[in-house]
Amino acid sequence: METSTLNGALFADMIRGGAQKLNNNRTLVNDLNVFPVPDGDTGDNMYMTIDSGSAALNGEKADSLEHASSCVAKGMLLGARGNSGVILSRIFAGIARGFLGAHSADVGLLANAFSNGVEEAYSAVSQPVEGTILTVYKEAVSFANSKMNESSTIDSYFTDFTAELKRSLERTPEKLAVLKDAGVVDSGGAGFVYIAEGMKDVLNGVRISYDNRDAVPTARRIDFSLFTEDSELEYGYCTEFLLRLQNKKTDISQFDTDAFRMYLEQHGNSVVAFKDGSIIKAHIHTQDPGKILSYCRDFGEFLTVKIENMALQHNEIEAQKDYIPKVEKSRKKYGIVCVAAGSGIKSTFSSLGADIVVDGGQSMNPSAENLIEAFERVNAETIIVFPNNKNIILTAKQAAELYDKSDVIIINTKTIGEGYAALSMLDTSSDDNGIIEAELNEAAQNVVTGMVSRATRTTKKDGVDIVKDDYIGFTEDRVYTDSLCRKQAVTDLAKRLNAQNYDIMLLVCGTQTNEEEVNELYKTLCDEYKKTEIITIDGGQPVYDYIMILE
Amino acid sequence: MLVLFTDTDTDFTPQTAHEYGYNLISMPYSIDGKTVYPYVDFDFFDAHAFYDMLRSGVLPTTSAISEERYIEYFEPHFKNGNDILYVHFSAAMTATFDNMNKAIEKLREKYPERRFYHIDTKGITIESYNIVKEIGDLHKQGKTIEEILAWAEKEVDRFAIYFFADDLKFFKRSGRVSGLAATMGTLIGVRPIIHMNSEGKMVSVGKEKGRQKAINRLVAYVEELGDDLYNHRVIVGHTDAPEIVEEVVNGLEEKFGKELNIEIVNVNPTAGSHCGPSGVGVCFHAKHR
Repeated sequence: METSTLNGALFADMIRGGAQKLNNNRTLVNDLNVFPVPDGDTGDNMYMTIDSGSAALNGEKADSLEHASSCVAKGMLLGARGNSGVILSRIFAGIARGFLGAHSADVGLLANAFSNGVEEAYSAVSQPVEGTILTVYKEAVSFANSKMNESSTIDSYFTDFTAELKRSLERTPEKLAVLKDAGVVDSGGAGFVYIAEGMKDVLNGVRISYDNRDAVPTARRIDFSLFTEDSELEYGYCTEFLLRLQNKKTDISQFDTDAFRMYLEQHGNSVVAFKDGSIIKAHIHTQDPGKILSYCRDFGEFLTVKIENMALQHNEIEAQKDYIPKVEKSRKKYGIVCVAAGSGIKSTFSSLGADIVVDGGQSMNPSAENLIEAFERVNAETIIVFPNNKNIILTAKQAAELYDKSDVIIINTKTIGEGYAALSMLDTSSDDNGIIEAELNEAAQNVVTGMVSRATRTTKKDGVDIVKDDYIGFTEDRVYTDSLCRKQAVTDLAKRLNAQNYDIMLLVCGTQTNEEEVNELYKTLCDEYKKTEIITIDGGQPVYDYIMILE
Repeated sequence: MLVLFTDTDTDFTPQTAHEYGYNLISMPYSIDGKTVYPYVDFDFFDAHAFYDMLRSGVLPTTSAISEERYIEYFEPHFKNGNDILYVHFSAAMTATFDNMNKAIEKLREKYPERRFYHIDTKGITIESYNIVKEIGDLHKQGKTIEEILAWAEKEVDRFAIYFFADDLKFFKRSGRVSGLAATMGTLIGVRPIIHMNSEGKMVSVGKEKGRQKAINRLVAYVEELGDDLYNHRVIVGHTDAPEIVEEVVNGLEEKFGKELNIEIVNVNPTAGSHCGPSGVGVCFHAKHR
């Protein structure tokens, strides 16, 4: 049956339906936050926001649309969490404003109220970013409004509205480069699509199931060790609060929200702030929450305050990155699998862009099955593999043959050095697998990898007299030096490998080395090879005290 | 009379501003929540100290200036019956110009007969610097505002900038360079090469391994794209990397001789907050960007 009038009871049910639908899909929305911005859990935040709106209806006699929508708006105001949550609450505040004085609404009034939502949401943000929930909602409202004609009903309006929401959501990566780069759509926009879908379901007579209505966020594993005694406060604090303006401190009706927001802007970013009656709701990422809080108390007192160190939020996302099964939609175009041993080397490869670093090296080669598992987890159209050991190249090729869900390219990197040389020059912008493979193999050619390790026995090799327990410098093909002193072995090796002819020397330091020795070596090498850029990395590898990569 | 304005994001200092007859708008950065306005909160920019601080792990942020601040800058000149030409850094990189537009709207109502002109250099730091200086030259030569605007219409797109940074974390955090994701994770000896396109946005155009190759590539761009090089300035800007600058200058002089009019400039702290320390760039008159 076509609905021509929207009353309070129906609106209340629709809000419940929207909340329910989002709840069912909130993990999906959370997962859209795959790239490390310090603001995770959009699905949870939006759900808690709309759920507060829906909870505000409990025990209320929500016959009139004015009353129902203002209850919802009030509830959301108090419960809003996160950037998208706050914007969501503004949308519904605008809608409620549009329903002022209305017992029920026809489609014309609904369209009007939805337009108010656009205005209200944009006014809460000082620097609106397109390609977010703001855009998605705005475009859908403007599309649905443009489709209105004499035979329009609440149902037809919602059909147009939700259809355009989805189309607009698909367009968000075109508008916001970070989304495109990460291969996802905007999470806040996606959350809103579920809410609107849930509301539409109710209109279409789909019954809501009320189970699982707890607002407990998806369990968060916060690891306090991620912010240590020596950590730098890089991202600041995510700070949210409700401030009750007070008559004895300020003239509430004349309160200048723009100036207030401007102050926040100057002390942080991701600022959202708005006034509703005598309550100010604000969200800011700041280095100094204390300053913000003191400033606020010039105007009123706090109702609630939430402050979280974003390094924990941030690292939490980074730390989990490998383990989050990515949603099907965000299957990446390119994925990278490396093989390496040593915690520092592994994290170096991760920071160079490897999605997964499989444990392995000279003494323990991973199986084809290990690699296939990695392919499965990386979930990409094309997977580029850096075996970094000549014994692993074959295994990788075999794994590639067994795996048919992606194109797998094996780069013939025989050492960690070649792996570094190739991966650091990866450039997928050509979109041509042939070119990418050729470029990477070429990049791997121009590198020499030397190693320093302790001799296990006394012998003579390549004209070098090797004494047990001395330090020897060698490459894959031959031994160059032997020395009692580890530092000497490194500098001798550099000389024998003609370090002055290379642009870069990467010195990867093993578990046996110490900071003092590394610093001394660094200084000596810098003085000796002025034209060569010397970079030291704490590789944490066993066996090889130093790996010297020359390129 | 026409009053000239530029901002500190163009690498202009009070000295150069004075020399070329500009008023200078200070564009702020913040460290640990403390906002600093260059040349308002300090007189002399100690580039080495500033970029060393960034090396030690400090990550500054930048913010837009308010409508009121723009009014404070502009109103006295309108009040005195002067018109304004503001030659500014890329509008595509910031929201600050929304505030400026609001300020101008208000001032227009108050001073309806006054004119406000602005030229978007579609660049930042040395690219803007080069253009701001040339416009200063034109103004000194007595060119009219119409002539200056016509020059800008044609010439702004003829100044190219190519630069590289040492540490990607500053760019990643600022989110102002597109195309980085396709090319890299972090930098270990790798230098992303970035230029500013004709929309005034930063775009990554590839990367080079090692300082030397990156320097060679900058020089190669000047060779490939350079146009009427000897009649324009070549600006080499850096974020506390004098040794690299020396190599770039040597490279340029090897190719083009000593007659090249090369000027070395410290990148201002606000723009430098997005690029990080040990970056070097070159801006020159080009066939196209």
